[in-house]
Amino acid sequence: MSDLVEVKPADEFENGDREFVDVGGVEVGVLQVEDEFYALQNYCMHDGGPVCSGKTHRKLLGEFKEPGQRVEKSYSEDECVISCPWHGWSYDIESGDHLANDDISLPTYEVVVEDGVVYVGGQKN
Amino acid sequence: MSQADTESRRQEDLDAYHVIDCDCHYMESFNDVAEYMEEPWKTKFEGSNFDEKGAKQNLSSFFPFSTGDRQAHGKITREHSSYPDDPETPERIREGMESIGVDETLLISHLILAGAGTIADDTRQSAFAKAYVEYMSEEVLDPDDGIHGLAPIPYYDVDASMEILDRIEDRDEYVGACFVTAGATPPLGNRKYDPIYERCEDMDLAAVFHTGGAGLDEYVRGGYQEMLETHTLGFLESNMSQIVSLVVQGVPEKFPDLDISFMESGVTYLPGLMTRLDEEYLKRPEEAPLLEKKPGEYITDFYYGTQPLEISADPAYLEKCIDMVGADQLMFASDYPHWDYDRPTTVMDLPFLSEEEVEMVLSKNAQEVFGL
Repeated sequence: MSDLVEVKPADEFENGDREFVDVGGVEVGVLQVEDEFYALQNYCMHDGGPVCSGKTHRKLLGEFKEPGQRVEKSYSEDECVISCPWHGWSYDIESGDHLANDDISLPTYEVVVEDGVVYVGGQKN
Repeated sequence: MSQADTESRRQEDLDAYHVIDCDCHYMESFNDVAEYMEEPWKTKFEGSNFDEKGAKQNLSSFFPFSTGDRQAHGKITREHSSYPDDPETPERIREGMESIGVDETLLISHLILAGAGTIADDTRQSAFAKAYVEYMSEEVLDPDDGIHGLAPIPYYDVDASMEILDRIEDRDEYVGACFVTAGATPPLGNRKYDPIYERCEDMDLAAVFHTGGAGLDEYVRGGYQEMLETHTLGFLESNMSQIVSLVVQGVPEKFPDLDISFMESGVTYLPGLMTRLDEEYLKRPEEAPLLEKKPGEYITDFYYGTQPLEISADPAYLEKCIDMVGADQLMFASDYPHWDYDRPTTVMDLPFLSEEEVEMVLSKNAQEVFGL
């Protein structure tokens, strides 16, 4: 338990809520999105913006069906994104990968729920 | 008096390389092309008083309907070309090639450059393009002698464009389809042009995007006064606008086997465009959902004609620009006989290219793209 940083009881989270904790000197945002918990570095890889306070949304996908027809655009059924409010840099909320360039990845952290309490663990990526 | 371009200059250097010129302008006359037109356009053109060359450039140099004349107030002439006002002939093309050290050439229509901006009446464009294709096949192109053609595509009319592609499908003399980038509205990444690209991809026919539009005093905004202004800006803008459109709309993802090249804007504009587009894409990737990599990486998949190569730039800067685009994506282009044409020596003299890279730019890349 010593490596885990306590956040707050799980039943005090609602979808859209976010809390901020210090993990080894790094500010980490802990979010509940669509009933799942995520933890990411709250420092955008672009210019240090407060990315974890940004909008979360389903990933927009496009599919080329046939020549001459519009690209069909739809929202993913399961992939979510978080976007930094400063300039819109957007990351897959699960992997931390930038939508445009997966060479850029926002550090993500383990989230553990034990005895009804949410904790943040070590960095995943 | 014409420039004495028979005079041999650096002939030994030129003889050392096989040179393919990916952008040579055939200065066809209205009268010659009209012979191959269908009615009613044949009669309309023949009776139009266009003279052999249409709007004469030497008239425009004094009372400019554009920002000035191509030949820089009489400073520039050509011995082996009609430039600027007489109709071209096949014999003179061979003389011109020899005079600048070119072994094989790809000819594009000179007049279609002006016609591309004619969006009000696309029948005129397609009538001209069809006749041009027949005229060049019959009287000018000669692949066994290194005279290849690029077929003008009147892209406003997709059906007419497809008809031209049907006509040239089995003709060895055509090695590419030419799209004039000036004036294309909507821009050329729009889905309406998809069938043309799909057909080119199926035919293994290279898509050559050729800039234009300089000299118009209302290039983007009105009021420019000099050719120096509009030629510098207009050619870049016309190519840049279509490169951005093609990439963002995903044409390279839709048609991954289509070879795409852009002509006549040099190379130094490309790193600036790539880095700016990449920077914007990082903030707005969802607007280009077909892209699988950064926009700049598609831009460096395209091929580029070298002319007018910015050889007076700081060599370190030019080297960096060419390194970013890639010597494997560059193809020598002369733009002969235009006022700012380049000779192959512009490529041979680049101090930072290896011998292998010089050969790639002068001929090998073009052989691959155009199947020569």
